[in-house]
Amino acid sequence: MNAAAEAFLREAAATAANGELHQIVRKGVEHYDAAVERGRARFLDWEAARQRCRKIKREAIDRLDLYLEEFERRVNERGGHVFWAETAEDACRYVTDLAARAGVRTVVKSKSMVSEEIRLNAALETRGIKVWETDLGEFIVQLREEPPFHIVTPAMHLTRRQIAALFREKLGGVQTEDPQELTAVARRELRRAFFSAEMGVTGANFLVADSGAIAITTNEGNARLCSSLPRIHVAIAGIEKVIPRAEDLALLWPVLATAGTGQAITCYNTLVTGPRTASEPDGPEEFHVVLLDNGRSRLLADPEQREVLHCIRCGACLNACPVFRTIGGHAYGTIYSGPIGSVLTPHLRGLAEFQHLSFASSLCGACAVVCPVKIDLPRHLLQNRRNAIAAGLRPAQERTGFRLWRWAMENDRRFTMFGWAARFGWKMARRAGLAGTALDPARRWTKAREMPEIPRHSFRALWRKTHGAG
Amino acid sequence: MAQVENPARERILARIRAATRSVPSSRTAPDARPIFAPVSGPLERFRAECAANATECIVVETASERGRALADLLGGIPEGEIFAQDSPKVRRALALSGTRQIRWSSEGAPSENSQAGVTLAEALVAQTGSVVVSTACGGRGASLVPPVHIVLADTSQLAPDLPAAMETIRRNGTLMACSSVCVITGPSRTADIEKILVLGAHGPRRLVVLISRESD
Repeated sequence: MNAAAEAFLREAAATAANGELHQIVRKGVEHYDAAVERGRARFLDWEAARQRCRKIKREAIDRLDLYLEEFERRVNERGGHVFWAETAEDACRYVTDLAARAGVRTVVKSKSMVSEEIRLNAALETRGIKVWETDLGEFIVQLREEPPFHIVTPAMHLTRRQIAALFREKLGGVQTEDPQELTAVARRELRRAFFSAEMGVTGANFLVADSGAIAITTNEGNARLCSSLPRIHVAIAGIEKVIPRAEDLALLWPVLATAGTGQAITCYNTLVTGPRTASEPDGPEEFHVVLLDNGRSRLLADPEQREVLHCIRCGACLNACPVFRTIGGHAYGTIYSGPIGSVLTPHLRGLAEFQHLSFASSLCGACAVVCPVKIDLPRHLLQNRRNAIAAGLRPAQERTGFRLWRWAMENDRRFTMFGWAARFGWKMARRAGLAGTALDPARRWTKAREMPEIPRHSFRALWRKTHGAG
Repeated sequence: MAQVENPARERILARIRAATRSVPSSRTAPDARPIFAPVSGPLERFRAECAANATECIVVETASERGRALADLLGGIPEGEIFAQDSPKVRRALALSGTRQIRWSSEGAPSENSQAGVTLAEALVAQTGSVVVSTACGGRGASLVPPVHIVLADTSQLAPDLPAAMETIRRNGTLMACSSVCVITGPSRTADIEKILVLGAHGPRRLVVLISRESD
């Protein structure tokens, strides 16, 4: 087992046993579920909405080159710059070089999972640049020096008491635990940063080809401040974010909001087409868009899994996932967690190191039911599993075990014999007091759970008794 | 700025083209199923949505009544600068507000301690209770930096739903003329601490829409 898989098992076991964490995550998810139910009720036909969103994304992904070139041309026409980055390093280098050239000392950032993916903050900080995360949840996890717990609600694992203690320690003089007042503290702190920063970095929820616009969705207004006040605005987005037309947003915006938080529409849906024009009173002098590949074009070349690029990062599959709800976002050890993270990460960072995540699922299918662009996530988990097995990345005993199992299942006699042997062996192990100890063959299961008593008769024996031998 | 060398561009595009070359055309019959119920009575719907998203919506008959409502509103706002979109309509409305200190968008960006921003809108959206503003509405900061954003509008600007609002934007060439457009729905908010709703996270704590039934 590699280091990432070992760490995953260790962290997952630890968080699965953390009752306090479960309570706060459950509270968050229940709140979300209720809001989404209200949100969906606003649609006459939610299913039709999902289908149309899928169609929009598919249209863009299937002709990605054309839409990206159209987007780039229009951004250039308006005086913006487009940089194509093959890797995380390329993207970071472009932004840090730009910052160095312009004498940037402070950067304000709005929430961007792509910037987490490329580890932009670390790259800027090694160049001596101060970076402020300005989304409240991101600000909190940045102060804690940890990654976001969830792609939409980064601090969903923390109580107000923990956040208050954090603010008291890091910001000083904070006496309150009231969310309203804690938010006001962050607002005051970050306002100073907004007005002093020379560069604002944002993500983009969509890149609109026909308008050369980036679309950013936030509730707090921090992305608007990041893209309005500093002299330079840099937006970083994966190449899969492009959509054909501005009119598509009339559907994508409410669907993203409903799936993401249950809102009818998010508070601020902002389109930016370029730097300030001569007649405008404010806005940045420079506008840059970094288009990030970082493994996406490779995923595009996989006809089975191309649709994973349709993802709009709403976080619905995380909230629906019983595994995410149990182990939380940090245990995954990846930037993208939950079902979409388990599917996507092997493509971005290598199957060898991250295939184990696709096995940590009961394939219940809840993620596919809630996905607003109808990505068949369980199928992709299965395909990752198949690919991992074909590449010889699974342990030898697993392969042997399944061969043995198939061999036993293929023949009635063998099946009966194996059933008997398993029942007998288990009884012996219990009688010898091995259950739950290091010698227990079923220790993975029994160390945290009671093993049910094995009934006297097997199912087949009972069936024969009541239904006859036929 | 000097053009940055970007050899990766061709490589990425080549990979994309190779990856999508064999993709069959996904053209399917247009899906005509309605997704939202049609909006009837846009003004009533707009008011109901505003009530739900914490926008203060005041409807009056004439433009001059709207000016008086604005004066009343500003009377309740602390001393200090009011930032306003420099347009004849806003100037007429603010003429009724007496001696308030006003900074016009033609003089630059709003200062950090502006007390309110007064702007027009590109459109109102009944379906969601949203206000569409562009950089032509006093720039980017007018609807963002001050703690209160006041919008002067009239009922002719009401689009029934988002597709209609986007069509208005397209028809008016707003995205061509302006470097930014924003669909605003309620005051700034966050629920990042225990999912508890807090208004006024980074943007305005109050959003007030003054609508007159008569256009001016």
